[in-house]
This record gives sequence, C-alpha cells and structure tokens, in this order.
Amino acid sequence: MLHWKCRLLWSLYFTLAGFSHSFSSETFEEELTVQTLRDGKVATRFSFSTVLGGATPRNPHNLSIEDDSQHYTLFPLTLGQILREYAVTELHLTLNAGKWNYDRWGYPDEEGVGTGAELWAWIGDGAVATVDERWRDLRNALAGLFCASLGSLDELRTTAPALTFTPGALPDWPLPHAIRHASLPSEHVCTENLTPFLKLLPCKSLSGIASLLNSHRLFDADWHGMGLHVSWLPDDGVQVRLTFQAVTDPLRASSNKRDWSFASIFDRSIERACPVAASSRIVVALPVNAAYSINPQPSSDEQGYATFNVAEQAKPLDVSMQWPANFEHSKSIRLATYSVTPFAESPLSIRRTLKGSTQDHGKLSVFIQNDATTTTEVAYLETMPWIVQFYLHTLTVSIDNIVRDDLLKNISYTPPVPHSRAMMFQAVLVLPARSTVHLTIDITKAFLRYTEHPPDAQRGWDLPPAVLVPLGGLARQRIYTPTLLVDLATPDFSMPYNVIIFTCTLIAFIFGSVFNYLTRKFVVLYKESN
Amino acid sequence: MNLKRSLDAGGIVFPVLVGGRLLLALTNLSGALKRDHQLSSPLTSYLNLQEGIFLFKNGVDPYSGGVFRHSPLFLALFTTVLPASRTVSSIIWTLCDALGAWALVQVWRARQQVAKTSRDSLIAAAYLLNPYLFLPTLALSTSSFENTLALLALMFAARGDASRSLLAAALLLQFSLSSILLLAPLLLLLASSPVSQLASPRAFSANGKSITSFVAEFLAYTTVLTLASTLVSGGWAWIPQTWGASLTLPDLTPNVGVWWYFFTEMFDHFRPFFLMVFSVHLLIYVAPVCIKFQYDPLYAAFVLLGVLGTFKSYPSMADPGLFISMIAIFPEIFPCKHPIVTALLHLHAALLMPLFHHLWLNQGTGNANFFYATTLVFACANGAALTDCIWAGLMIAIGEPQEDYVVVQE
Repeated sequence: MLHWKCRLLWSLYFTLAGFSHSFSSETFEEELTVQTLRDGKVATRFSFSTVLGGATPRNPHNLSIEDDSQHYTLFPLTLGQILREYAVTELHLTLNAGKWNYDRWGYPDEEGVGTGAELWAWIGDGAVATVDERWRDLRNALAGLFCASLGSLDELRTTAPALTFTPGALPDWPLPHAIRHASLPSEHVCTENLTPFLKLLPCKSLSGIASLLNSHRLFDADWHGMGLHVSWLPDDGVQVRLTFQAVTDPLRASSNKRDWSFASIFDRSIERACPVAASSRIVVALPVNAAYSINPQPSSDEQGYATFNVAEQAKPLDVSMQWPANFEHSKSIRLATYSVTPFAESPLSIRRTLKGSTQDHGKLSVFIQNDATTTTEVAYLETMPWIVQFYLHTLTVSIDNIVRDDLLKNISYTPPVPHSRAMMFQAVLVLPARSTVHLTIDITKAFLRYTEHPPDAQRGWDLPPAVLVPLGGLARQRIYTPTLLVDLATPDFSMPYNVIIFTCTLIAFIFGSVFNYLTRKFVVLYKESN
Repeated sequence: MNLKRSLDAGGIVFPVLVGGRLLLALTNLSGALKRDHQLSSPLTSYLNLQEGIFLFKNGVDPYSGGVFRHSPLFLALFTTVLPASRTVSSIIWTLCDALGAWALVQVWRARQQVAKTSRDSLIAAAYLLNPYLFLPTLALSTSSFENTLALLALMFAARGDASRSLLAAALLLQFSLSSILLLAPLLLLLASSPVSQLASPRAFSANGKSITSFVAEFLAYTTVLTLASTLVSGGWAWIPQTWGASLTLPDLTPNVGVWWYFFTEMFDHFRPFFLMVFSVHLLIYVAPVCIKFQYDPLYAAFVLLGVLGTFKSYPSMADPGLFISMIAIFPEIFPCKHPIVTALLHLHAALLMPLFHHLWLNQGTGNANFFYATTLVFACANGAALTDCIWAGLMIAIGEPQEDYVVVQE
C-alpha cells in the first residue's frame, strides 16, 4: 500500500517536473518607474511583463482542429485561453480615466492614454470564423475577464484604422492580418477592473512591486489607467504586458513640496520580493538641476535614473524623494530651464472642440500647433459612432485663415451607416514648422430611436478622441486628443404609447373619412309633398 | 415654341413671377434654409446631395454610407452636366419650378380644351407663389424636381403624349419610390381624356389593350433607368439606400410627415410590422380612388397627390404644396366643404411648425412633443384638404340643392 502511494507521488512529481521543464522559458519581469513632472505632479508606471518563450500565436487555419493543451506556470491561463481560442496575434486594451495633459506632462511611458476604454487587435485572417466574429467573441471574453463594459465596443464603434494603429513589433507575418479598433470614452476604470488585473499576475498583489497597487490610492489619482498589451516578438515569443499608470499630485496648499514616497503615493511599501520575477526594478528619474535626496541608497545610478533592485534591497522597501526647495508653479511651467527631468516633450499641441448650439448640426474644429522647427507629417484619425456624421465636402484646412488644401492628403474615409457602422476618417496631415493648422468640418447630429438612447440621455454622448501619429522625424508615438461631448436631440421617453395612439388615430381618422366618402353613393330624390 | 406661345398667352404675369423668383433665388436665403428639416427631408436635402457628389468625385461609394440617399441619376446629372455651385443651383432650381408652373398651366388648358384662358396667370401664380413650394426650392430641396416631373407626366398624359408622360413618370419613380401611386391614374388618363367629367359620372370606357402597352412601356423605361443608375453608381447598393430608405426609414430626422416620430417612439419588436402597415397603407388608396374617379383620372391623380403629401415616408413642405397648388386647376370644386377650417388648420401648422422646431432643437425650451404636435396638426390640415376635395369632387355630380329634391345615400 505504502509502496503504491510512493509510486503515485513519484509519477506526480515527474509529471510536474515535465511541465515545468517544457515551459522553463517563461520569464516574468516587473518594473516601476517614478518621475516628477514639470508641474510638480508625480507620474508612476507599473509594467509587468510575462514572456512565453518560443511560443507563436495560434494559426487561424487551425481553429477548427483541437488546440494543444495549455499549461503555464507564470503566463496567465485565462488570458492564454482567450488568445488561443480566437487566434489573436496582437491585442491592446486600455482603461483610462482623466485627460492626459501632453502640454504639461509630455509623452506618457505607455502611449495608450485615450480616455475611457480602448481595444484594438490584429487578428489573423483565413479561419472559418471571420475576423469580425472572432473580434466580437474576443470583446465579450475580455469584458468577462476584466468586468468592464467592453461588450459595448460593438459594430457601432468598431473601425479598422490600419495606418494609425500599426502592430508593435511588426514581425514578418506569413498570414494576412486585419485590425479592429474600438473605443468607448464613457467607460470608467474602477476597482472592479483592478481585481481581475491583479489576478493575472503570478504574485498577485501579495509581493513584489504589485503589492504597491493599492486601489484606494490609485483610483484617487489625478489621472490613472491600466493596460493589457499582448504582442508577438518573433525572437522571444508571446509577450503579455500588464501596465498601470497614474499621475498623483504631492503638492499641498500647506507645504508646497514635491516630496513623495511609496507611503505617501500608495500608502504601502514593498514587504517582500516576488520570488518568480526574473527582474524586479524600480526606476526613479532624477532631477537635473535641482537639489534632492533619495532614500534608500539606489542599487545603481546611471544617466539620471536611479535603479532599485527589489530583490537586493532591504525590506520593507519604501523609496522616497525629498526636495529641499519649495515648488514654484508658474516659474517651472513658463521657463525653459526646467528643474526636473522633462519627459520627451511633445512638440504638437492639439485643441479639438465641437461648436454649435443646436441639436441637429455643428462644426468640429481642430487646432494643431507644431512647435518644431521642421515640417512634420502626422497621421490623423477620427472615429465616430454613427450618431455624428461628417459632411466631408465642408472640410477645410487653413493656416491663419488662409486655406491650405494641400496640407491634407491620403484621405481614407468609411462613411457611417445609421444604426450599424461607425465612421472612420483617416488622413495624412502636413504640419509646417512653427505653425498652427486649423481644420474644420461640418457635422450633422443624428436622431435616434428612443431605445437607442442611454438611460441618462440628457447628459449627451462621449465622442472618441482623435488620434495623431507623427510619421518620421518625431517619435512615432500616438497622441490622443481629449474626448468630446455631443448633445443629441431626445424624444420624449415617457410617451411611446401616446405617440403610437395619436398617430394611429389620426391616420385612421383620415383613412376613415376618405373611405367614407369614396364608398358612399349619393342620389337625388324628388321629395313628395306631405 | 410651345413655351413661347404659352408665355405670350400668359401675358406679362408669368415672366414677372419667374423674374421675381429668380431675384429671390439670388439672395443668400438658401444658406439659411438648406438645413431646415421642414423644407427638405434626408432624401431630398441639398447638403446630402453635395456630400454624395463630393464622395462620388473622390472615389468613395456614396451608397456605402447612410448620408446620401438621392438617386444615382442626380449624381450623374451634377457630376457631368450641371455645375454644383450654389448660385447656379439656385437658378436651376427656380427654373425647374417655372417649368413646373408652365406644366400646370398646360394641364389646365388641356382640361379646358382651350389655348388660352384668363385663369392662366392665376394658376401660374398659385404654383410660383405658394410658400410651401418656393421655400423648399430656395432650400434647394430636390423635391422641386420631383414635383416638376409629376406635373410634366400629367401634362404629357393630358395631351395624350404617352411616351414622354411615361418617361417622366419613370424618372419620377427613380427619384421617389412612393410616386408609384400616380402610375394608375396616369395610365387611365392616357387611355381617356383630361376633360372634366366630375359633373357627369360614367363608367370608364377605353380599350384595355392600350393600357397594357403603356404598362410595358413604363416598365421598359424603368428598367433602362434602373440599369443606368446601377451603371452610374457601380453596383446595386443604391437601391436599399434610396428606394429602401423610404420603406425602412433608417434616418429619423424630423420632417413634416407622420412617420418620423412614430418610428422614433416605436417598440423595436413592432417596427417591421408598422413599417409594413405604413407602406401598404399608401397603396390602399390607389384602387378605390381610381375606381371612384374613373370618369376623371386627372382628379384621381390629384387626390393621390394629396394622399402622398399627407402620408409619404419622407415628405417635405413641397409635397402637400403641390396638392394645394393643384386645387387651382379644379375651380369646379369651389367652395369645398370646410374651406375656412382647412385654411386655418394650415395657417396654424405653418406658423407653429418652424417655431416649435426652433424651440426644440435650437432654443432648448421645448421638447420633441411640441414639434410632433404641430406635425399632427399639419397632417390634420392635409387630411382635411384631402377629404374636402374628395367630398367636393363627388358632390359636383349632385349639383346645387334644389327645392323639393333631397340628396340621400343609396
């Protein structure tokens, strides 16, 4: 009996060893970057990367045959199942709250900072199930995984902007791929999204850098957002990267100091390192021309960045930075000599507004200011749900009120279809050096069925941000404009019955009167005298 | 030279009216009116037409989206023959109205079987000065073309010119699916005469063979024009976008008709049923009206135009306007049953509709029910005018009430 049990244990051991051997190339790395911004706020960025070495995305041709069984030690199984089930090659999901201020904060570390939910995926074509079917199922699966309303990213919001959303690693794909993109600016990121996010990490939020992810503090930040990025790196394998960005404000009216610490930002400190992490680093950008002190002693200090190796540092680890000098808001914003390390400054500044007070038409106005000393080309993308329709013949591009139609080229346009398809306008815009390009277009606002309005219909509809991508020259990083709110005319929601009754009564009345006359036959009779 | 003769006959009035209208067209009114929902529907809006032309010229299929719902023939016309500048368009639209007025005068003359009457100027004025007609023209709504084609079809039919009449009707069908209602009275008119028979009802007497050949000719024209449209637009996508739209009502932009708010407020699972009911409801009138007025098909066409103006899916002011202006060529029906009530209903609706539309969409101090209520009043006004005209048309045969005689129902 004992002997039999021993054999069972041994066989179990070998089975497990076999599994761990077959996926020995799974690596997990985590990193936290902290940076004080020009306006005194502190930007933090968590990045958790798991690479499944040697793996390739599923070939969509094999979707009809049964897939290999999946066994992972570090790679999140629930996500792996979704990726294989729908044969998704590249996937990006971001859930953000707030407006990223490029003018003050520069480019973010993670470029997907569009307000609300944004999902885009490159999906291999050629399977029995079409790209659109798998895109729909993918949305629903991710909605379930992240407890977010991603199911609302339906056909009404789906577009295919291949020029703006290029695949990250750009591997030499043997299969034709198609992009699907959808954004839902009214979706809000919340604790319920962070909990499933943490479940995808090998150490959850129990140890390592992830233990700093305190939802009470993160969702209290001025700007916060989480992201999921799946891409195929042909040399390494399939990479899943989970990110969380937040911008917090350490400045207080009482003490105008930019001092921060993990305790003040997250109300937590790192108690122990994540044992399975191949690397676990905290990178702090150091100020350039200002006095500061950083605690504890960094593991290394190179090129303006202090790096802490979490495994080596004494626990609990609470990194903090002190600034002896008070922060002077106006000075640091206006003067060119910034006292902190600037982000890669954004030379483009964009203002987008929706003009017009009526509920049936309006005008979209976009100012794009190019501060660079060279002419820049940008890919410009507008995606709109069908409720806002562009009149493309009214599109004007001007600089200082002088019409410059030559600045807009390579226009590709997918007109909206009422009740079913979103609009996509994509073009290459030439921005001359040190100039402000003004783009206007007339729009018409649709009239919706009463069942199509959201419950808070009077609030209006959030319109997705426009996206600009500098082509060549500048860093090829996406820039998102703030979202817009459009006010649509509403019917009276309380009286569908009344309208049906009134209209039907009127039609029946006219119909009745007409047929009353048409079916009568009049004759003239001689009235006999009484 | 026909036009010249009729111009001479009309005297100074007709040129003066057209001149005045041209002056009005050259003002900048169209810029202010072209967005007005009462003057042009999504199917006839000039802005949508411009957008479609722009997309077509730039290689985007205008029928792949949901904005452009005009016939491909308009695309062909405005991308090749006519320029799309607004001033030129305003002049073309006004001249199109002048042509419509001339056709209406010709219909009147054919009905009276005379070359010239003293009433001609009045009829031209009734068409050219009707605000329901000239405001949509100023707004550059393509319903002006539809009205002119309807009048041309009636005019040629009244003159017995079958081919041109059927060609005009086939063209009209390309622009507006619901105008198929006019086909039946048009065929009857071709097979009989336009002379007023309202006072002496009798059974329809004409050989049915000619009607069969007319139908065949109409079908041939329609087929050719449909194929031409398909060639122009490069596919069949235009059919669901133009004809299909008037059946499925994808665009719920407010207009003066009864459909838009009904289907805004309709429960989703009843929508297909009521769309069917509303579409079939239009067809129901054709046979009874044509049977009842079989002795005067021109009058049947007039009544069906009234039905279209009241109940079609995407009406503009121009549709009831055509019906109202056409009353001028039937002086025998005056006075109608309740002329004052009908006129006041129209006045009420015409004053309140723009006001409530403005309050709802621009001012924000009214809601959709305000405008909906005035469109109901407008439908009442059109319905009252329609029933008045039917009643009057039937009572002519009875004549003036006389002593010792009573009118009873059989």
